[in-house]
Amino acid sequence: MESFELKRSKDSVNSDQSAHWSSFPDEVLERVLSRLKSHRDRSSASLVCKDWYHAERWSRTNVFIGNCYSVSQEIVVRRFSRIRSVTLKGKPRFSDFNLVPENWGANIHAWLVVFAAKYPFLEELRLKRMAINDQSLEFLAVSFPNFKALSLLSCDGFSTNGLAAIATHCKNLTELDIQENDIDDIGGSWLSCFPESFTSLEVLNFANLTSDINFDALEKLVGRCKSMRVLKLNRSVSLEQLQRLLVNAPRLAELGTGSFSQELIVREYEELESALSNCKNMHTLSGLWDAKGIYLPALYPACTHLTFLNLSYAALQSLELAKLLPHRRRLKHLWVLDTVEDKGLEAVGLNCPLLEELRVFPADPFDDEIVHGVTDAGFVAVSFGCPRLHYVLYFCRQMTNAAVATIVQNCPDFTHFRLCIMNPGQPDHLTNEPMDEAFGAVVKTCTKLQRLSVSGRLTDRTFEYIGRYAKNLETLSVAFAGSSDWGMQCVLGGCPKLRKLEIRDCPFGNAALLSGLEKYESMRSLWMSACNVTMNGCRLLAREMPRLNIEVMKEDGSDDSQADKVYVYRSIAGPRRDAPRSVLTL
Amino acid sequence: MPNMELQLGLALPTPNMIKGFDLNNHRLDHLKQRGCFSNKSKRSFEQAFGNFKQDGKTKTLLLWSGQPNEEEDHKDQKKTTFSTIDDNDDEEVEQVVGWPPIKTWRKKIFNQPNGVGGIENNRVADKENGRSIYVKVKMEGVAITRKVDIRLYLSYQTLSNSLITMFSKDKKCGDDDSTRYILTYQDKEGDWLIAGDIPWQSFMRCVQRLKIIRNRD
Repeated sequence: MESFELKRSKDSVNSDQSAHWSSFPDEVLERVLSRLKSHRDRSSASLVCKDWYHAERWSRTNVFIGNCYSVSQEIVVRRFSRIRSVTLKGKPRFSDFNLVPENWGANIHAWLVVFAAKYPFLEELRLKRMAINDQSLEFLAVSFPNFKALSLLSCDGFSTNGLAAIATHCKNLTELDIQENDIDDIGGSWLSCFPESFTSLEVLNFANLTSDINFDALEKLVGRCKSMRVLKLNRSVSLEQLQRLLVNAPRLAELGTGSFSQELIVREYEELESALSNCKNMHTLSGLWDAKGIYLPALYPACTHLTFLNLSYAALQSLELAKLLPHRRRLKHLWVLDTVEDKGLEAVGLNCPLLEELRVFPADPFDDEIVHGVTDAGFVAVSFGCPRLHYVLYFCRQMTNAAVATIVQNCPDFTHFRLCIMNPGQPDHLTNEPMDEAFGAVVKTCTKLQRLSVSGRLTDRTFEYIGRYAKNLETLSVAFAGSSDWGMQCVLGGCPKLRKLEIRDCPFGNAALLSGLEKYESMRSLWMSACNVTMNGCRLLAREMPRLNIEVMKEDGSDDSQADKVYVYRSIAGPRRDAPRSVLTL
Repeated sequence: MPNMELQLGLALPTPNMIKGFDLNNHRLDHLKQRGCFSNKSKRSFEQAFGNFKQDGKTKTLLLWSGQPNEEEDHKDQKKTTFSTIDDNDDEEVEQVVGWPPIKTWRKKIFNQPNGVGGIENNRVADKENGRSIYVKVKMEGVAITRKVDIRLYLSYQTLSNSLITMFSKDKKCGDDDSTRYILTYQDKEGDWLIAGDIPWQSFMRCVQRLKIIRNRD
């Protein structure tokens, strides 16, 4: 334990400041503050007074940076000296949908160089939407001897060679979590790079990778890592291989299977069933690629304690889901494909009274002639049976205002309501009216709402409702909606807790953009693409608000005066210097 | 379950068959019409955006209806055009970039062979033959288009049985129980033919789409 300078605190105790309520000795204050885990609480604590600011920054070990360009590396390392864990987020969320140009930025390397110098004992790095290449991964692997956990979510720029570097050099690795990335999958030999002596891995998730892996190496790795609790395989791992892995890892808490559709003989099936049911700690199950209905019963004995079931890679039909669910009354989180249809969702409503989160993904999102999938009826059925539902992501092809009103009446505790009616600008399919009243009902009833994605035909009225009622809203996503600037003005004028606003293809222009001048400094970011904003409007914003970074991305061949894509964010680091030519910083 | 009969080309022409039934004309009608659902949605979508122009306050985009925008800052049409209704429903519609908002890697799952929709046939489990062949099936009077994996069937009979089951829940009340239907298909050359004339194996290789049409008296 390092010794602290007690001089300052002694002085304040001795001085006539008995009313000075923050005169704890520094080390006490730091000890107390070190218990604070939430970064928001820590931020609040740091604002109390100077003593608390310093105590907080000396005791912080985990830093969360929601926008990598909002702060510079120098500022971070100057303020915090004892960081063991870093979480960094980079690109705007719409980069997930190809709306952000390639090479936009958010490269991790500069950060790694600074961390290597200032945080040599760094243990954890969690990145979301950052660009990271193999060289950076190798640099990471060799620069931090205590490195334990790497999590890459929606990142791009690296290949399995980079993973090989991590496996080779990180002797103390406990977590390797590779999710939803744009990886160059060269092959599965990276798994054999873990040395024979390596036994510390607890979390291994490579479901993202598409190529075959070296199963022999994997089997040995799983066999010697006795503390492994999370294992998520990729599709290339067969059922028979799964069974062999499970036999060596019965303590798994989270399992992502590989392909669930191999031809099995009876003995093999029984062995699989037995291996699965031996996993008494399993609470999360995913994978199930290409799951065949006839093999799903193998899961029944295994999954009585399941709280999270991710079926979003398995095109289950309604009957198959209906048979699977009665064994899973403890389910809290369920992800499915819309192949289960409304009937499948009825089964959810009937069997999962504790359900808190439901995500329904479309199996055929780009083919709008295929009109199976789920409708308003399915969602309503779930809401009747699952009153604790608070997180929903729902892709459908039809919805009604009445249905949404019923849903929120049944489930008033929504914190995340993400409804995607897949045909842009589609009205209520029964009344042909806009979906304004639906989202009005959501914001009026669900007072805890933090995140909202709207869709369907929407006029400014929707945004009047949002601005007026959504007092806790932090993230709003809007596409193909609104009638005029007024809509966006309502949101910017209301919604006191708004942090992220992302808009595409809406008739909002400069007046709307400029109505949020002061607001943007209290927000993380604003994204507007394919709206009516012009370069002049952006320049005006930049002039008025020097502490905001205004970035404009132009499309090929568009008018010079048009600001096709605008990204506005607050920053204490000033305009960034690594923007590519396609991004104009104003 | 209402009784539906699906008449195949192999069946002997019964007195019920239409005299002078012209498949080509019928095809044109179908090509002009979309299923009720998508028709309504696309029309009302155009309506929705068309309304923008009438409202004096609006700064409209109007890119979807293909009309030039009068707003001075917006001279060009956007590159990402929304899908439009045209008379040729056999062409792929243009997709809006990044819509629906599905993550890139999830889209890749759909595009892989033995993708999400690809359920392997029990009998043909080896890798060479394992790939499913999905064809769209439309039934006259029914809004919903379905997809079937032709590889799952051994004969016209098994196919038509399955189609009857699939569509019997969609059948509208307007038809009485004794309505007969004809199964037609579109081959590789784009011609619409009555199913049943060629051997099943050949049919499987050339079928592109299926349509079930009413057998009118």
